[in-house]
Amino acid sequence: MNLQTSEFDILQSIVIRALEDSANSLSSMTTGRIQMQNPRLSFLPLNVVPGIAGGPATVVCAVYLGIEGDLSGHLMLLFGLQSACGLVDLLMEQPVGTTAVLDEIGISALAETGNVCGSGFMNAISDRTGLKVIPTTPAVVVDMAGAILESVVTELYLNGDEVLVVETGFNGEVPGHFLLMPDTDSMARLIAALEGIQ
Amino acid sequence: MIVETLPVGLGELKVGSRPGQVLVCYGLGSCVGLTLWDPVSHVGVMVHVVLPDSSLSRGQDSLPGKFADTGVKAAIDEVVRAGANRSRLTARIAGGARMLNVVGAGTKLDIGARNADAVRTQLQFHKIRLAADDTGGTYGRTLQLFIDSGRLLVSTVGRGEREL
Repeated sequence: MNLQTSEFDILQSIVIRALEDSANSLSSMTTGRIQMQNPRLSFLPLNVVPGIAGGPATVVCAVYLGIEGDLSGHLMLLFGLQSACGLVDLLMEQPVGTTAVLDEIGISALAETGNVCGSGFMNAISDRTGLKVIPTTPAVVVDMAGAILESVVTELYLNGDEVLVVETGFNGEVPGHFLLMPDTDSMARLIAALEGIQ
Repeated sequence: MIVETLPVGLGELKVGSRPGQVLVCYGLGSCVGLTLWDPVSHVGVMVHVVLPDSSLSRGQDSLPGKFADTGVKAAIDEVVRAGANRSRLTARIAGGARMLNVVGAGTKLDIGARNADAVRTQLQFHKIRLAADDTGGTYGRTLQLFIDSGRLLVSTVGRGEREL
């Protein structure tokens, strides 16, 4: 991705602020203290994306939201099964390790996390860039990481070659990935908006 | 026999011609894993098809296995070059799932069905018999082709394993 250092810095600060906002929304929903920690941004080639979460055959839990409006693309929270259960515990305000299996309530809690994080994140992007972005309703999928990720990157594969990946964790206990994958045209629009901010 | 696992990544194509070789597509979602195998020479190929048609491409990426049309042709060429007899080849395919059912995302994410259709069409075009077809659904698949026996194993999360 052809981003100047200054643009990358702005993107990084917007993404980090947006993540903080979404973690705050999540915290206020649960009356607990949920934080996203040390987010690291990187652009990755699409063909390596199916392997980022422990390899393509690793079973993961993905919370997926489509991005619509001025930008189009995909947003995904990706957790190992243990992390997904840990996140459910944080949401339910019980000690991490209590949830062992993702049941319907757990899945719906994770979907809600996606909703809150996704909306919080996109509102923050909107506020700072002036672009109007809306999330679709979330979908929660438990399956092989490769299968889930390739289904998303396939569409981007038509004209893009890289995706923005943010690695983060909740409260340092439940590591996960946050993937922001605008399509190529949207990435250009996002960069143009960043240039406007400069 | 030394087991040698050859992972076949997005858009890749790999040929196996030695006993002990196992060609693997890990975690197929909307992509289609295509295998061709010759039961006499025990030579086979696996392709990890990502998209239905090379005319869709706007990028410079030229992996032959990326598209159904270029992938099927390249698979036949490569496996024949490695010693397979074209008339004995049988094809098996798996994958082409719809992983994410999202309201509002339209049909854009159902590229899996289009991939599977495109691979079947190309096989017909090249007159290769399709012996087994395990496509569709909403779940991922890992595909392993054992070169010596031609055994093709499909594994899933929570839906067990089966042979094609």
